[in-house]
Parts: sequence; structure tokens; C-alpha cells
Amino acid sequence: MQELTFKKKVSKGSRFNQIYVPKHLENEISAGDEVEVRLIRKKTELYYSKSAKKLSVFKENLIKGVFASLKEFKEVSKIFLIGSFLLEKIDFRDIDIILVAKKETKGLSEKAYNKLINKFNLKFHVISISEQKLSHLLSICPVTRSMFSTYISNKEFVVDKNTSIDKKHLQFLLMLPEDALELDLSSRMFYDSLRRLIVVERFLENKPFGFNIVKSELIKSIGQKLHEKIKNSRSVSEKSIAVLRQEIMSKLAVINGMI
Amino acid sequence: MGKNGDIDPLTNIMSKALRHKIGSIVNENEFYAEKYAKDAENIMNEAERIAERQNWNRDDKAVIKEKLRKKLHKELEEKDFIDNRKFSLMDEEIAKALEAFNLL
Repeated sequence: MQELTFKKKVSKGSRFNQIYVPKHLENEISAGDEVEVRLIRKKTELYYSKSAKKLSVFKENLIKGVFASLKEFKEVSKIFLIGSFLLEKIDFRDIDIILVAKKETKGLSEKAYNKLINKFNLKFHVISISEQKLSHLLSICPVTRSMFSTYISNKEFVVDKNTSIDKKHLQFLLMLPEDALELDLSSRMFYDSLRRLIVVERFLENKPFGFNIVKSELIKSIGQKLHEKIKNSRSVSEKSIAVLRQEIMSKLAVINGMI
Repeated sequence: MGKNGDIDPLTNIMSKALRHKIGSIVNENEFYAEKYAKDAENIMNEAERIAERQNWNRDDKAVIKEKLRKKLHKELEEKDFIDNRKFSLMDEEIAKALEAFNLL
């Protein structure tokens, strides 16, 4: 029998997904004939979280390429892209990828990282985590929840609204801000400390803490100018350091009163 | 500031940086290990600025090591939310940090 092939996209039917035989082949492949269907390329879809802003076509295509490249890792059940690549138009620091695996897989992030840098020659940061651990962290960790407030993923995902307080974990998160009260640290570490405190406080108060909400609160408390300086790790005066420490101190007092 | 005046701030900062580093290692959560190790690295950069201010001799180095050990032990003891495996990592992490600053 003559070998007949054609390529088509699967379309959505009301009851079943379907593939139409092209018009010019209607006499060669007709109703009742037996055919074989083979998957050539899986469609890569992007799922935006509610707070993620629509990206440029270039960035979208890059992400689709990244997701498609990571499909060979069968243990990966979901892929997320988070961080500054989504939040900053051009000033992003690196491309943060989170691979969620069905179970813990040693060496997964390294393998995926090597694959990505070899293919795209871009600065990637890849972390892998098991489904179970991610689910646990999202319930107890404000910083993780904050990271997942804006993402693009390859599958639909909803962050569970239920949270619980893990005092030890929160205390761990507070170590850096506490140290910032007495150590001479770079201004960027004050920025990280204050953002972390705002996130923890809002988590405890059950308030939203997306990137822009935290940014607005920080600007409101220390002012736009100082915010820009510490965000960009520029040097600041002793007076400004005192302002930052005061802010850290009052936030720590509020948080410690809640945990 | 003289050598003696620098030893205290140096060992203070190093002990806190190492507390972060050890915390990142014993934390079951590898998702965060990197993040906290980064905190440790940033704090350690501040310590490096002090370490580089002096030419430390063998006696100074011995004093630094001893002070650092005591301070780190106290730091770890106070943070009861860090897993108890923390104490077993002390010597190894102290050695690594001192070696990095040429203080071993």
C-alpha cells in the first residue's frame, strides 16, 4: 500500500479532540480506513499566574523553548519560571527556573542547568524540588509563597490558600534581619532583610505579598531614594543605615509579637 | 584600628556568617540551602574586609581560631531552631573559613 502521511494539529472537539483529513487527501483516506496517529511534537503552553504581566513575544518564545528543552526530563512534573525575568523588562539578573519532580531526584538541577546553558547561552538558575516538599513549603514559608506569587509555568497551577505557622522556619528566616541590626553589611543586604520582613509580616497577617505590594510598602517606609540605593547595592550614609535599622527593629518587634 | 581591635569584630562577623552557612547545610530544605549559603557568603565578604587590614602572625591566627570557635558555639547554641547536627560541622566550617582568609 502507498505510504500516505500528513501533518495536522489536533483540534478541540465538543466531546473528543480531533484531527481532520486534509481536503486534497479525502479520496485517499476515507471513512472506514485504518490509520495510525503519531505524536511528533507536544505543544508548549504557558500558564501565567494572576499577577504575572504579559511578556513580549521574544521572552515568551524563549520560555517556550526552555520548557520544550526540559521535556526530556521525564521525572519533572511541572516547570516554573519565576523572579526578575518576569518582573523586570530588561534589568533581570538571571532566569530562575524551578523544576518540580514527582520525587527527589539527585543531580536533576545540574543536568537541566547544563542542558539550558549549552542550548541558550544565557544565565540560568535552576532549582529542583519534589512535589511533596514544594507543597509543604508553600504552606509554611512566606518567602516561597512570595516567589510563587508571580510565575509562568508549563501546566496549570494554583497555590493552595491554606497556610500554617512553623515557628522554627520563621525564626530561620529572621536570622539575616536580626544580624543586620549589628553587622556592617552591604546596603543590598538591608534591602533583602527588609523585603523578607515585609513578606513575613504580611504572611502572618494573612495579607497578600506579591513583589509590587512589598515594593510599595518598602518605598512607603524608607522613601523612594533610599529604596533605589539599597536595591542597587549603592553605598548609603550612616544616617540612612540608622533609618534602615530602625525599620528592621520595629518590624522584628511586630513579627516576634505574632509568632 | 590595631590587630587586637580587629580580632573581635572579625570573629563576630565570621561567627555569624558561619552560623548562616551551617544553618543552610543542616536545613533539610535544599530549596533554601543556596539562599542561606548566599547570606553567609555576603556576611563573610564583610569579614574579609577586616581580615585583609592586618598582617596576622601565627599567634594572632591561634587567637582568632580560638575566639571564633567559642563565639560560633555560642551563636549555634542560642539558635535552637537550627538542627543539632550543627555542632558536628563546626570544626570543618571554621577550618574552611580560616583557610579562605589565609588565617589557618
